[in-house]
Amino acid sequence: MGPSGMGKSTLLHLIGGLDHPTHGEVHVGGERIDHLSEAKLTRWRAQNVGFIFQSHHLLPVLSAQANVELPLALTPLNKKQRQQHAATALGLVNMSERAHHLPKELSGGQEQRIAIARAIVSDPKILLCDEPTGNLDRKTADEILALLAKLNKDFGKTIIMVTHDQKAAEYASRVIDLEQYINSTDCIGNEPPQKSLEIN
Amino acid sequence: MNLLMLVWKNSLRKKIRFSLTCLSVMVAFFLLTTLAGIDHALNISTSANNQYRLMTSHKISMTQSLPINYQQKIATIEGVEAVSYVSWFGGFFQNEKNQLGITAVEHNSYFSLFNEYKILTEQLVNWKNNRTGIIIGQAIANKYGWKIGDKVPLSSSIWMNREGSFSWEFTVEAIYQTEDVATDDKRMFFQHKYFDKARAYAQNSTSWFSTKISPNANSDKVIAAIDNLFANSTSATRTTTEQVFIKEQAQQFVDMAMVIKVVLIAVFFTLLLIVCNSMIQTIRERLNETAMMKALGFSSFKLIQQVYLESLLLLATGAITGCLLANLTLAQVQQKMADFLPGIAIAPSYYFDVALLVALAAAVCSLFPAISIKRLAISKTLGAR
Repeated sequence: MGPSGMGKSTLLHLIGGLDHPTHGEVHVGGERIDHLSEAKLTRWRAQNVGFIFQSHHLLPVLSAQANVELPLALTPLNKKQRQQHAATALGLVNMSERAHHLPKELSGGQEQRIAIARAIVSDPKILLCDEPTGNLDRKTADEILALLAKLNKDFGKTIIMVTHDQKAAEYASRVIDLEQYINSTDCIGNEPPQKSLEIN
Repeated sequence: MNLLMLVWKNSLRKKIRFSLTCLSVMVAFFLLTTLAGIDHALNISTSANNQYRLMTSHKISMTQSLPINYQQKIATIEGVEAVSYVSWFGGFFQNEKNQLGITAVEHNSYFSLFNEYKILTEQLVNWKNNRTGIIIGQAIANKYGWKIGDKVPLSSSIWMNREGSFSWEFTVEAIYQTEDVATDDKRMFFQHKYFDKARAYAQNSTSWFSTKISPNANSDKVIAAIDNLFANSTSATRTTTEQVFIKEQAQQFVDMAMVIKVVLIAVFFTLLLIVCNSMIQTIRERLNETAMMKALGFSSFKLIQQVYLESLLLLATGAITGCLLANLTLAQVQQKMADFLPGIAIAPSYYFDVALLVALAAAVCSLFPAISIKRLAISKTLGAR
């Protein structure tokens, strides 16, 4: 958590290998990722991380099922296996009935569920969520948060979420206030903090 | 869902843009293919023999006559196998709209040089024995319903006969066939001997000589020898291969080679500009989706591959429809222009060139989007939206 501009999303992007740090090192699950080449980082992302953003970024030309299948196109799975995996992921987010709908035919909450299904379909260890409920009403947001909590508890997914929402933070087993963290380090001006941030 | 399906769906996302771009590509390939068909006619041999045939006409102009006795002189040149002579009749049937390719030919030698005209021996003998006999192509026989033995009144826009008339009467003695599309099946031939006696003026002269050279003869040397032989006479000659002669006749109307080059350059630039613009616009519209796909683990190479396939689909669709349309048009043009320019067709190797052109153009059109994809910062792109 933390106020805008504090670097919450930047931190998430660093953990997800979307950004390279200007200083320091990034270790995820014991593996140092900041020095990996673009190609290796891309493969690492595909195998280890699922992303859920505030905007779902579904491909409008593909059905919900096809959107969920998209990350599996990078795997050696055959068509039938891909369809089975996608159906399972859609079932987990309670969207089986909407599998053949296009994103424009879905509500915001449903679109976010599809985005979650897409994030978990390749069975990543970590789910990185950047304000996943930011565009949703309270009721839908609660449903999404409950779904993420279920993925954490029942399927053992590590979920790292950036949010402004205090209610969302209540679902977390650990909350880091980035503002407090930065104030607690001996960070001067633009110099990087000397203490490492560990998210266990 | 596979990635090819994604290419297909992405291509058809903006149907109007896709259709209009395809239409532009189609027009470009239509023009290119049509001109290639005409160029093919200019470059192919009218028969396998014509690489061994030379044409000798008056140095000043085709309309100037040459003395018939040049035949014996040309025959003495080393490398020459046979010589015949031909005069253009400028004929038509009934009215000048029905123009016909009629020539008076030296009856003993002509068909030994031009064996692509298939004539039954019996019919050829009959024609040689009847000085007013005429040989016609099967297409002419079909068009006018003429058959062996028919008396055919023809007119000339050039030659008056001794009776002071431009009307000439012939008897159909033979109908020739052709075996390949490049051979004109609408020609008509009658005896030069009769022509020379019956015409009112210009006796003992002819429009041009056709010379057959031996397969191991050097055509350049023979050409030079013929022209040198008559260089200081009152009727100097200009000799070329038959192929060059046909090409020169067509180029009196238009320099096809130049037109094709200009069109080819224009086509290339038009294609690149239109499709490049379309692809750049497409990728700009999909930046956030591209960034998301990168975040999901799609490599830049994979995404560039998708753009390339989209460009390829767009260009190939336009090129295929353009080529098909041009083929249909050329079939019509071939029918209309068979007298003037036989052999209008597309060589199979042309389609290989088109495929190469399309693949190359798709690569060039994918270049700018590829750079955008390669440089795309996922966090900035997704963060900005």
